Amino acid sequence: MASRKPETRKPETRSGMSTPLVRVSDVTKHYPGVRALTGASLEIEAGEVRALLGRNGAGKSTLIKVLSGVERADAGTVEIAGVPLDGGVRHANRLGVQTVHQELSLVPGMTAAENLFLGAWPRTAGRVDHPAMRRAAREIFDRLGLDIAPDAQVGTLPLAEQQLVEICRAVRREPRLLILDEPTSALAAAEVDTVLEAVRRIAESGVAVLYVSHRLDEIRRIARTATVMRDGQVVGTVDLATTSTEDAVAMMLGSTYEKAVRPQARVVDRATTPLLSVSGLSVPPKIVDVSFDLYPGEILGLAGLMGSGRTEVLRAIAGFEPAAAGTVRVEGEDVPRVTAAGMKRRGVGLTPEDRKSEAIIPLLGVGENMVMSDFRAVSSGTSVVPARVDRAARALIERLSIATASARTPIGVLSGGNQQKAVIGRWLHAGSRILLLDEPTRGVDVEAKEGIYRLVRELADKGAGVLFVSSELEELPLVCDRVIALRGGTVAAEFTGDEVTVDAVLSAAMAA
Amino acid sequence: MTTTRTAPPPGGTRMTGVAGRLLNGRSHQLNEIGLLVAVVVLYVALASSAAGFLTVHNQLGILRDAATVGIAAWGVTLVIIAGEIDISIGPATAFASVLVAKGASEWGLGAVGAIAVTLLLGVLWGAVAGWLRAVFDVPSFITTLGLWSVLGGLGLYLTDALPVTLPDSAVFDVLGGDIAGIPTSAIVMLVLFVVFAYIARYTAYGRSIYTIGGNAAAARLAGINLTRIRILLFATTGLLSAVTGILLASRLGSGSGSAASGLEFDVIAAVVIGGTALAGGRGGMLGTLLGVVFITVIGNGLVLLGVDSFLQNVVRGVIIVGAVLVNVVVARRGRAVATT
Repeated sequence: MASRKPETRKPETRSGMSTPLVRVSDVTKHYPGVRALTGASLEIEAGEVRALLGRNGAGKSTLIKVLSGVERADAGTVEIAGVPLDGGVRHANRLGVQTVHQELSLVPGMTAAENLFLGAWPRTAGRVDHPAMRRAAREIFDRLGLDIAPDAQVGTLPLAEQQLVEICRAVRREPRLLILDEPTSALAAAEVDTVLEAVRRIAESGVAVLYVSHRLDEIRRIARTATVMRDGQVVGTVDLATTSTEDAVAMMLGSTYEKAVRPQARVVDRATTPLLSVSGLSVPPKIVDVSFDLYPGEILGLAGLMGSGRTEVLRAIAGFEPAAAGTVRVEGEDVPRVTAAGMKRRGVGLTPEDRKSEAIIPLLGVGENMVMSDFRAVSSGTSVVPARVDRAARALIERLSIATASARTPIGVLSGGNQQKAVIGRWLHAGSRILLLDEPTRGVDVEAKEGIYRLVRELADKGAGVLFVSSELEELPLVCDRVIALRGGTVAAEFTGDEVTVDAVLSAAMAA
Repeated sequence: MTTTRTAPPPGGTRMTGVAGRLLNGRSHQLNEIGLLVAVVVLYVALASSAAGFLTVHNQLGILRDAATVGIAAWGVTLVIIAGEIDISIGPATAFASVLVAKGASEWGLGAVGAIAVTLLLGVLWGAVAGWLRAVFDVPSFITTLGLWSVLGGLGLYLTDALPVTLPDSAVFDVLGGDIAGIPTSAIVMLVLFVVFAYIARYTAYGRSIYTIGGNAAAARLAGINLTRIRILLFATTGLLSAVTGILLASRLGSGSGSAASGLEFDVIAAVVIGGTALAGGRGGMLGTLLGVVFITVIGNGLVLLGVDSFLQNVVRGVIIVGAVLVNVVVARRGRAVATT
């Protein structure tokens, strides 16, 4: 079996000083209008697992792109085992850099062994050698303590095992530096153990591992040190044993972090019957036991790290995901069987996280995108009346201040913010009183965000209950009256009114 | 060594235990066994109800009919696994029969020359369709629909819709006859079966086809040359259509622009019944072989049973949909739903 050995060159050593396996010196990378990385420096030893911490937009992805050769630094150097990296991805691969990205790139219909060797299947006497592949796969799996059958079709494996196959594919190429980008973000807590153990063994064999993750509890189990980034700069490298979560969060947010102007606190009557009442909700594998109440006129934020299951909670309530256990009550009445049609009838409206692929129909007009939730309201008998569609559309466009040339403009042409407003408008058309908004300001510019916050507050003022999921922690204090944080499949913490601060929420979401 | 406890993934049923481990990832093997059983059942049923089914003459006839579908089916199997489709087989075969007939007679190329030219042209027209798909992203349904229309029209145009007689030649006699009692076309089909089965499993080209069909993005990231492979795929089916056309002309003694009408549907049906998913990424030659046998035997049986020829189509349609429905259900049970 041919394995590609990384390029070697004897690293120059000054007397007594050992060269770190990975050295990033003063790397700067600019994109037009954005300083993604400025003067970033770090060093990783062979066999070390280094965590990389930082908010979204702190520069982690850019650093990874520079390390893996996808991007070339504008200034500064990257050295792997003393050899400067200054070519593309292939050069980086030859120097021994392998990256495992968040999105899996496996072929579901092929076996695990074949996926390990995708595009480079071992050949003997001109023909693809399946037994050799199987042996090599078993050897790697055994080495990392994994019980995965080399002949198993990857599509039938649980997600955690698929992730491990992806990791093994990188390991097979005998890397010097293995970059893992949020390897456990989509996994449930129980599945994470196997991945961490595999990473431990990889590091023990002398590979330097750069582990990007937000989950501090996992990071503490696998890494000794963590490099924290903020605003494109490396803030520092800390010893995890002696650094508390609060300190790490403070490094990530910075001492000059300004608390944005918080709008006047809203008065929410929590003595009445909740609009929505969820208890004991379980959606395997991520959600174990979630309970909360949503009151009329309340904007309840649902915080948590990526992979904590917030989307699953929303989808389960809206009837798009089967729950293993739990009850849902709408306005005090038990919902015996949660179905999408039933919940819609009861006034629940969900705006999906992935606007482009799950929310808008890009080629249809803005108006049609909105009235599709209730065609009967714009029909006469069995026919949809275009004039009524236009009237309804115009009314909504005005009410929501959607910037569009006409109601018939294809919605795909509109900006993200206006698209989002239209998606919310869809549920206003249907008369929904319980709005489940999944990352409503993602891909929306600053001004439009304000518009959406205003809209959400107005809707709440009129009595709607809003469940607001957001990964952008800064906006939670600007919109939400109360925030619950998900961690480990349950509600870990709850903050009301002035208690809602970015530090508090982030700590609760990450804490360990 | 830590063992991973695999909790059953949500949304799908999985069988447990050793049998489970073996079968869960191999729903296609389950499918092939099922198909084999179905063929055996068919044989038993027809042997007892259709007069003359089990005669050597009839069985050889079945082999010959199977070859007409089977030869092109090997290539179309690879095409469908890669996530594409080829609907040009019928007219391409007819056109090839016209080419070889005209080439050997009117155009004075001689038997061997005509065969060579026909094969070469088959590769070329297929490569053009493949090129349009690979480089310009024209959907393969459309590129092969274009071939369907153009080649079909050319075949009729060149012959004024009349058959063109093949000149006498030892080559054509052998191709249209038997070798050691077995129809030559069937031998060609079986030899090609072995070749394509090998390609599918033991060549980088074959594994790349499964990769492209399973996850084209991953294929690209792994450095696989999608353009080259896509062109090769359709050049191959073009070649195989030409082979089928030549064999058909040899057997009938003439080339005809209206021959092999509807062959593309029989080929696709055989491939899909054999367990290859239209969505791509799954399938294999063995399944297609069983699918070819299945379809051919049913056709033969319906004729022997004296079923009205129009009703034969009704029966075949019902059986094809039924067979694929069984495939889909079996595949769904054997495949867990991966959580995103």
